[in-house]
Amino acid sequence: MAFEPVPLQPLERGYLRVLRIRSALGWLIALAVAVAVDVFLHWRTDISPGFVVGAVGLFGVVSIIFLVPRRWRRWGYAFTDRELHVAYGWFTRVYTVVPVSRVQHIDVSQGPIERSANVATLILHTAGTENSLVALSGISRQRAEDIRDVIRSRISDAPW
Amino acid sequence: MPPRRLDPRTILVQSLRGAPSLVFGIPVVLAWSRGEGIALGSLLIGMSVLVAIALISAWLRWYTFTYQILPGQIVIARGLIKRTRRSIPAERIQDVSIKQGPLSRVIGIAEVRIETGGGEADEGRLVSVSLPEAHRLREVIRSIRVGGTGAEASSEDGTAEAEALLFQMGMPRLLFSGVFNFSLVWIAGIFGALQYLEQVLGYGWDRWREVVGVAEQAIQSQLNGMVLLSVAGFAVALGVLAGVTRTVLQNFGFTLTYDDARFRYRRGLLTRSEVVVAKRQIQLGLVERGAVSGGLGWSALKVQTLGGGDQVSGRQELAPFARSHELAPIIALAGLPPFDRSHLKAVSGWHILRGLIGMVVLPTAILLVVSLFYPIAALLLVAMPVMLGVALLRRRRHRYGLAATSLQVTRGVLVRREWTVPYGNVQSVTVRRGPFQRLVGIATVRIDTAGGSGINGPRVHDIEDARAEALVRDLIQRVEALRTSTDTDPA
Repeated sequence: MAFEPVPLQPLERGYLRVLRIRSALGWLIALAVAVAVDVFLHWRTDISPGFVVGAVGLFGVVSIIFLVPRRWRRWGYAFTDRELHVAYGWFTRVYTVVPVSRVQHIDVSQGPIERSANVATLILHTAGTENSLVALSGISRQRAEDIRDVIRSRISDAPW
Repeated sequence: MPPRRLDPRTILVQSLRGAPSLVFGIPVVLAWSRGEGIALGSLLIGMSVLVAIALISAWLRWYTFTYQILPGQIVIARGLIKRTRRSIPAERIQDVSIKQGPLSRVIGIAEVRIETGGGEADEGRLVSVSLPEAHRLREVIRSIRVGGTGAEASSEDGTAEAEALLFQMGMPRLLFSGVFNFSLVWIAGIFGALQYLEQVLGYGWDRWREVVGVAEQAIQSQLNGMVLLSVAGFAVALGVLAGVTRTVLQNFGFTLTYDDARFRYRRGLLTRSEVVVAKRQIQLGLVERGAVSGGLGWSALKVQTLGGGDQVSGRQELAPFARSHELAPIIALAGLPPFDRSHLKAVSGWHILRGLIGMVVLPTAILLVVSLFYPIAALLLVAMPVMLGVALLRRRRHRYGLAATSLQVTRGVLVRREWTVPYGNVQSVTVRRGPFQRLVGIATVRIDTAGGSGINGPRVHDIEDARAEALVRDLIQRVEALRTSTDTDPA
């Protein structure tokens, strides 16, 4: 991670659990499809049952145990009172800087899984086109609200 | 002023516009008649019912749509069952654009669009009012618009004369600009097909030679060449003709005027449009130079605006084909600093290598593999020398720098573009690094602005990590410094 103009903070530990649960839910759906494929294959050919299910299941377990933490570790953020920095991505690293003065409005959202882990998602809306919203997931609800309040006070300070 | 309706002729125009969709009804009618055909009488009845329905619904739409100019706002109400009342506050109104399609011009009506900064394009659209009413509306709306200078007061119908004429395209220049508008891709395609044809023809000629005899060999090769030449000439002529036609249709009578911090351009042969670009809506300036016309000293000036406009890209062409000295005053009036090449820095040398891989090596490999199965694909290899040239030149043509009040970026080998983004219009900055870029320590910096699509945006490709870091830091610093020092920030 060579590119880091300001030191970044990792996401909350609890968000790792959120990511794992979400990933597990995704893999469960994949597993259901795999079961159907398995049954179909076993019916049409003489491939032994459990072949596809086993492969998908193994992949899912590997992903949940090893890959998800990796993805989680790739996230980082920093809030410097004047701008929000967000970095993510494994294959292509993306690093976004949003000046607080450019924020149009702010959302703090919390889904059911996030609520159980006490993390929240902070969403900044800008007037831009490519990055019209910058979302930062996996910070504590308290932190998200603090950032929101700072940004809000800065926006309302605005001379217009 | 009491609520008004649109011009009654709208009913006719709208129902006529809906007519082509009746075609979809034909299969239904056919299915209903079970292929036996319908008696003329019932067909006529059916058609008149359809026409009546179209007319009635158009009439209902016309009847329920009203607009009203009140002190400080304009109210547009519509809908029969679900009434919608939209009020547009006067201070949000930038100006009024007028557009006339071919049909509208024949019957003398026009589409009026009340331009507001941002929002949907249809926000303040009056589909058709009579042309005098359109001009009257513009006058009234201009007079209630707060923030305009009071000295304006051009109540007589002489607005066009009161405005300063900035740029105009006469017929000779229009035609000349059309010549450069031919599609290079098209020409390349025709030449590709030509080469394929040559192979086919060549084989044919060989057979002929056997039949006719060796004596006529010379004539035949000449004939072959002549056929080739004439086809090539035809291709070029076709490309030029298409370009000229497109340009004339689009930019006929192009006139750019400026008054009271607003640009206004009129253009078009069949569809005549009049579009207003308020100075404070302008997010960035872009000067484009074509591959050939740019070399001859011609360029186009575009600005990206927040909402409004009739161009899909979100960019408005303020001058489609002009000399640099003609553009300079327009750029200055738009509040943009001049493009200063002397401060610009080069990007990393890896930019060339990345271009070579992405534009030459990979496509060639793919084409070679594909041509194993479809030999015709090998024809596209003809384009590779051009791509090679582009890849080799792209670093020389790509520079960036932070000027006093704006970020300036230039990029492009065939079409050369120069972006000027005032710091106040930078929305966010993103640094992207793909696997190869990480390996060699370079990064791409994307600058997000409001109103435009991402393609052909002011991006800085492939600069060293340390420089990317410095660029982002300095850029953000300037965005924020501007924020705290001035209070006239055009957001």
